[in-house]
Amino acid sequence: MSKDGYKRVSGDAIEYEVFARKTREEPLRQVGSVVAPDTDLAMAYARATYDEERWCEMAIVRKDDVIRLWQPGEA
Amino acid sequence: MSLSDLVLSIADNKQMLGLRYAEWATRAPSLEADIAAAAMGLDDLGHSRVLYGCLEPLGADPRTTERESNAASIRNLPYFDEPWTEWSQFVAANAILDTAFTTMIEACVGGSVEVLQTRLRKMLMEERYHFLHGRSWLRSGIEKAPLERAWREAIEWFGPPDGETAALHTEGKLGMGPAELRARLEEQLETRAPKVEVDWSTWDPIRRRGKRGAVDAHTFGMLRGLEEKKYAPPAAKPTPL
Repeated sequence: MSKDGYKRVSGDAIEYEVFARKTREEPLRQVGSVVAPDTDLAMAYARATYDEERWCEMAIVRKDDVIRLWQPGEA
Repeated sequence: MSLSDLVLSIADNKQMLGLRYAEWATRAPSLEADIAAAAMGLDDLGHSRVLYGCLEPLGADPRTTERESNAASIRNLPYFDEPWTEWSQFVAANAILDTAFTTMIEACVGGSVEVLQTRLRKMLMEERYHFLHGRSWLRSGIEKAPLERAWREAIEWFGPPDGETAALHTEGKLGMGPAELRARLEEQLETRAPKVEVDWSTWDPIRRRGKRGAVDAHTFGMLRGLEEKKYAPPAAKPTPL
C-alpha cells in the first residue's frame, strides 16, 4: 500500500513475479510481474506480456510466497 | 468437402478470431487482459498464415477469386460476423471456440497427413495459454447467452455424426471425428455441452455453419486491404528534374 492509499492488487487479485532466462547457462532473473485472480490466468498473462524475447525458460511465483531475509533499509 | 476445405475453414476462423481478439486490445477489463487479447490475436493471425500455407502442399487450394468480392465466401462462423460488444462474448469465444479449433488441430496432428502433422504441432503449445486464459475467465462466470451460442457453433462446426469429417476420421486423415472432438472439448473444459439440436439439412458443409450471413462490410474491407488503401498517402508525384 502506497502512502496515498493506492493498492495495485484489488479484490481477489494476486501479484505474481515473473522469472525467465534465455540460455541454460544463465540463471533465472526477474523480468517483471503480473496481477491475476488465479495461477492459470497469471501464466497466460506472463506469457503474453513478456514473450518478446526468446526465453528458454519462464516461471512465475506468487509474490506472497517469496520469503524475504531482509529488505532495503534493513540490512 | 475435402481435407483442404476443412483446413481453409480452420484458417478463416482463426483469422477472424485473431481480428476480433485484437479489437479488444484496448477494451478488456485490465491492462493484463488487454495485452493478452493483443498477443492471442497475433498468435491466431499467425496460425491462420501457417494454415493457408498448408493448402498448396495438400494439393487442392479451394480459394477462388470470389473471396475478393463476396464476404459470404469467407468460411467463418456466424459468431465472427459482427464485432463483439460485450466482454462475455470474448470469453465465450476464447474458452469454447478457440479450444474447439485447437481440438480440430489436434485431430489434424493426430492424423496421417504429414504436412499437417509437422506444421501444426507448434500451434498446440501456443494455444495452451489461450486455453488457460479462456478457462480462467470462464470460471469467473459469464452470461449464459454467448456461452450457449459458442457451444452450438462449436458443435455445428465439428460437423454431422455421419458427414465428411467423420469420413476423414475413418480414413485416418484426422485423429478424431465429430463425436470424439466434442468429447475432447468437454473434457478440456471440464463441463458438458448444453443440449443442442442441429438441423443438419440446412447446414453448409463448406462454410460449416447453418446460419446464413457473412462478415461485416468493414471487416471484409480490412481483409481485402481496402481499409489500408483508404489511409495510404496519395501516389508520390515524380520529382521534377
